[in-house]
Amino acid sequence: MNLIAISINHKTAPIDLREALHLNKDEIVELITLLRENYLAEGIILSTCNRTEIFGLPKDSLLIHEQIKETLIKYKTVTGIKKEHFVSYFSCSAVKHLFRVASGIDSMILGDSQILGQVKEAIQISEDLKFINKMFKRLLDTSIRVGKRSIKETLISEGAVSISYAAVQVISKIFANLDKKSALVIGAGETGELAAIHLRDKGIGKITISNRTKSKSDALADKVHGDSLSFSYLKENLHNYDIVISATSSEGFILSYDDIKLMMKKRRNATVCLMDIAIPRDIDPQSSELDNVFYNDIDSLKIIVDKNIKKRESEIPIIEEIIMEEMVNFFNWFNSLDVIPTIKNLRAFFEEIRIDEIEKIKNKVSDEDFLKIEEMSKRMIGRLLHNPTVNLKQLAENGAKFEETANSIVLLQEIFNLPNNNSNNQTID
Amino acid sequence: MISAIHGLNFVLPIFYFITFIAYVYDFVKEKSPLQNSKRLFLFLTLVIHVFYLFARTIEFNHPPITNKFEIFTVLAFSLAFSYFLLELITDIRGTGVFILLLAILFQFISTFYIKDLIDVKEVLRDRLLGLHVMSALLGYSGITISAVHGILFLMLYKSIKFKKYGLIFNRLPNLEILEKLSFYAMVIGFFLLTISITIGIVWLPQAFPKFSYADPKLITTAVVWLVYGVGLILKTFLNWYGRKIVVFSIVGFLTAMVSLLLSNLLSNSFHTFY
Repeated sequence: MNLIAISINHKTAPIDLREALHLNKDEIVELITLLRENYLAEGIILSTCNRTEIFGLPKDSLLIHEQIKETLIKYKTVTGIKKEHFVSYFSCSAVKHLFRVASGIDSMILGDSQILGQVKEAIQISEDLKFINKMFKRLLDTSIRVGKRSIKETLISEGAVSISYAAVQVISKIFANLDKKSALVIGAGETGELAAIHLRDKGIGKITISNRTKSKSDALADKVHGDSLSFSYLKENLHNYDIVISATSSEGFILSYDDIKLMMKKRRNATVCLMDIAIPRDIDPQSSELDNVFYNDIDSLKIIVDKNIKKRESEIPIIEEIIMEEMVNFFNWFNSLDVIPTIKNLRAFFEEIRIDEIEKIKNKVSDEDFLKIEEMSKRMIGRLLHNPTVNLKQLAENGAKFEETANSIVLLQEIFNLPNNNSNNQTID
Repeated sequence: MISAIHGLNFVLPIFYFITFIAYVYDFVKEKSPLQNSKRLFLFLTLVIHVFYLFARTIEFNHPPITNKFEIFTVLAFSLAFSYFLLELITDIRGTGVFILLLAILFQFISTFYIKDLIDVKEVLRDRLLGLHVMSALLGYSGITISAVHGILFLMLYKSIKFKKYGLIFNRLPNLEILEKLSFYAMVIGFFLLTISITIGIVWLPQAFPKFSYADPKLITTAVVWLVYGVGLILKTFLNWYGRKIVVFSIVGFLTAMVSLLLSNLLSNSFHTFY
């Protein structure tokens, strides 16, 4: 199979280069037009914040990796990119890479389930542009199946692998109905925003943002459909919240032990969850000594993250097995697209119909007439199948157009419901 | 019929054991293939247990509540059945292993020591006694389930407080749910114990004209009832929650166990029938 792939990702290039090569949907459409004109017969372009990848079947020459890289770099007008920032794949290795990407084991956040949606989106763009044909579609569908199986059959997407999500995981081990709880997020920076978004996604009842710069807390509050609380009123309102997440860049403690003690007194000792995800810490860790106060800082949340990452890593061999299994299945099918077995199957299919019909009139006509009719039916089938047979053979003889042959064979198999010929099964390594 | 009863008595602990193993496996392993089938194991075990209890009642002409080993098998059934209902209603599956551990324990002891009893004291054939014992057993199941959830609450509380994010943290439901389950089981247990005590008080003067209110069984039962009663008042009217109320449930359970032991060990109690 002549699949080629180029990839620039978090393992091969720094973030500034990855960002520079990132393509939005409109850019993908434009780049596909360029690649289609010059190099590729079919293909997809996958572009996320951590990777830009092009998979495709070449039009003529097989060694077009460099041209595709150049087209991409030229299109984005990026300087400073070297050869080693890209990885190139061909045939089996390209298929394997596609499956690894779809499964999430090649992602920066191991087991990131977002990548499957992004692969689907990339396929959809190419399908809309009619840049995918039957055989390539089968390969892409298999990659989606690999992604789905990885999520369903393994624990690769289980557990929190970011500090802010780990905080939410601990919170959901304390409270049952988050929709009846209120949360206060102190700090409207990147970490605070992430925590607020996770809480909103988990269906928190009420969310309030407090930040020294009021405009920032207002903006984040708008984003997560919450309220904004002035920083100067923070302490006197603290007791109204079941969950407090603090992520500021303050140098000292924002909330002292006495603040928390007073808060608990006002809350009549009702359970509270304090998540201090700031460095240096915002909340006095001594607060954890208080009854019904659950205090966590970055170090304790990192324990959860590390455990979950280890758990995900232990799932990689199972996913590699899934990838291997799907590759074997795919290539078994692919190898069944040989011309000769297909011609044989096609002829057998027509011959079966001919014999069936001839048998029906055997006792209705004389022996002499029967022989004539039989001869005529053989000639008719021979003539009907002459052109398809010759054309298929010609296609097969033109090695560079293998994908075209394969697509024709898939079409024949589909319209005549011909069996797949898996006699040439081979193991992929 | 007798051989069928003996056969079921032998088979029951095996079924309980298989069910227990299925629950343990599911508890330890995430995304285990037994996630749904373990409930089927429990259901089958309960069906066999129902047959066993009916067979005993018919064959020996009295409900299986006339000695402690008969009571143990009813208690095992009552615990497993209560948990089965709890799992069906709430779909919380992480606590079954701990409750079934007690059920399996009671059933094993019963299987080894239970005898075929045809002749029992006339007082033990009384209908009111049947109601008294059955409501008491269901009540005890309620407070046992309450205590188990209470202990699990404390385990998870400690696990989160001391940042031990292991199996307990991963597999148990959250603290609020554990507290709720413990409290609801406590309410049901308390209600059934109240019924049992009421029947006992009505029936007692008829069955034992010479009984004494200073009987250790009566005193310890009153203490158990008071502990739970105070716990419920504190929760309902003073809004106690969390660790405080859970501790009440555990203390109540321990008092109930001590009460049972005392009534069986002290021979001068009227409550000793065997």
